[in-house]
Amino acid sequence: MTPTLEITNLKLHFPGHGAPIRAVDDVSFSIAPGETLGLVGESGCGKTTVANATVGLLAPTAGSVRVLGTELAGADATTLRAIRARAQMVFQDPVTSLNPRMTIGTAIGEPLLVRKVARGAELRDRVAALLEEVGLRPDHANRYPHQFSGGQRQRIVIARALALRPALLVCDEPVSALDVSVRAQILNLLVELQARHAMSTLFVSHDLAVVRHVCDRVAVMYLGRLAEVAPRDALYAEPRHPYTRALLAAVPEPDPAVQRAKPRVPLSGEIPSPANPPSGCRFHTRCPLATDICRNAVPELRQVGESQVACHLA
Amino acid sequence: MSNAQPALVVENLSLAIGPAVVVDNIGFEVAPGEVLALVGESGCGKSLTAQAIMRLLPPAIRQQAGRIRLGAEDITALPERRMQAIRGRRLSMIFQEPQAALDPLTSIGSQIAEALRQPLAEARPAVRRMLEEVGISDPDRRIAQRPFELSGGMCQRVMIACALISRPAVLIADEPTTALDVTIQAQILDLLRRLAIERQTAVVLITHDMGVVADIADRVCVMYAGRIAESGPAADIFAAPLHPYTALLLASIPRLSDVPKSALAVIEGRVPQPSEYGPGCRFANRCPRVMPRCTAETPKLEARAAGHQVACFAA
Repeated sequence: MTPTLEITNLKLHFPGHGAPIRAVDDVSFSIAPGETLGLVGESGCGKTTVANATVGLLAPTAGSVRVLGTELAGADATTLRAIRARAQMVFQDPVTSLNPRMTIGTAIGEPLLVRKVARGAELRDRVAALLEEVGLRPDHANRYPHQFSGGQRQRIVIARALALRPALLVCDEPVSALDVSVRAQILNLLVELQARHAMSTLFVSHDLAVVRHVCDRVAVMYLGRLAEVAPRDALYAEPRHPYTRALLAAVPEPDPAVQRAKPRVPLSGEIPSPANPPSGCRFHTRCPLATDICRNAVPELRQVGESQVACHLA
Repeated sequence: MSNAQPALVVENLSLAIGPAVVVDNIGFEVAPGEVLALVGESGCGKSLTAQAIMRLLPPAIRQQAGRIRLGAEDITALPERRMQAIRGRRLSMIFQEPQAALDPLTSIGSQIAEALRQPLAEARPAVRRMLEEVGISDPDRRIAQRPFELSGGMCQRVMIACALISRPAVLIADEPTTALDVTIQAQILDLLRRLAIERQTAVVLITHDMGVVADIADRVCVMYAGRIAESGPAADIFAAPLHPYTALLLASIPRLSDVPKSALAVIEGRVPQPSEYGPGCRFANRCPRVMPRCTAETPKLEARAAGHQVACFAA
């Protein structure tokens, strides 16, 4: 079966002062139909850059991005336009994702209208159905974004992304701007929608507990490269990359008994700059296990058990 | 810890914007070396409370009632000039965005020395020691650098150094790790806890993150819509939350131990706006255990177990 998304040796470099910023370097992964892949990492690791490239918002410096078998790298405007109907995006901040002067009915209906999928009464019915699907009422269609709370606005953004029944939903930190009590509502909604539509999802987040909750498989990025890609249960039960272990140890669990008994794996140091990444394994400057080979040779992603790990020592 | 004289006492504090009481009759105390968390969602009044303690409230906010004591001294009505002598010396604050809180044009060494009211030339040894204490390597080089040359995590260490160099009795930390990555957050939380104990600083930690609370708080005040819903030792609040809001909030957080894709507990509706506050419990319209009484009267914060208080008729 064709993967919904297949990324091969993706590179995204940007001009910087002097050396180019290597935001994404040699990243490869795929997402099967109906599968949700979590892409996790800290700020500057390149996860959002990858997300933007999967919907054609950024052109790859090198490598390939295929959505449902169609190549996006170097694609012409017509191909990009066609593929964007199949790959839709939900951004972090629902406030800036919606036009304040457009009713939410118009916003949700716009993709259908632009693509000539529906108009008139049929469009209104489709919008009403989409609103109900995300837990809002059809009569909300005539209201403006400011009349909704943050959580409701994220529901509106999700409804708009679902309008064209995309094969791939790309969610970039969809709950990070929301309050805790609202976050749960949106996570429940996303899990429900995945089950109902068998949609593939690329779920970008810095929050490992959230990713564990909604994803089937998880890819961990560090400074532009993949550190580890593994099925969810394997990754959380047996993290193989030292960075994955450190990241998991750093998640503060909302339970003092668990949290305070946790062994600390303090990562010393700061995240280096992607303009001047460390030689060899990019994690070696902070890795408690680093040896000479780590400083000199770039570790390739290789299969270890159920996981793919880019670590000489795994 | 409860035997020592509290480093900070807040009593019956009420703050209003126009007619709306946005912080309603809250009180707590913090002992030396203790970390008290004020936890709640946006708009619950936790940051306003911090600003009221610092006496740095925005002009539109009026303190209607309440007393604030720093050690034995009542600072509620001190003139601004006296407050200026207290801020940064006996009562310090750190903020969410370290880069925004530091002066971009001044070296970090001078900024830390300024907290001692000394020129850097004089204070250099003390500044150097403080930088080491907050875990900044190569302090001799860093002293001359400006904030843009440092990462967010390092800037937060610098802000902590500014706040603690004068050995204040009380540190107010307003979302000190919210802008930081998790691995850096873990470092900063470890640092705050170590310094609080070593220096016997009382810390008021303001956060929305129950994970952060679980990590370093000794005691917790859970705030909702300007009131304290529940307060008590961190271990008790997490193990046996009494207020329905606390219980739901805890159940709504995805954990590394729960069943993936299982439904998370949801708090229906949204936090009321100050203009919508009625005479009863402010959580009543979202509460699964609401009774007629809840919308008519305000529940008082009452002790249910040692040090564990709750404001709920159903609890």
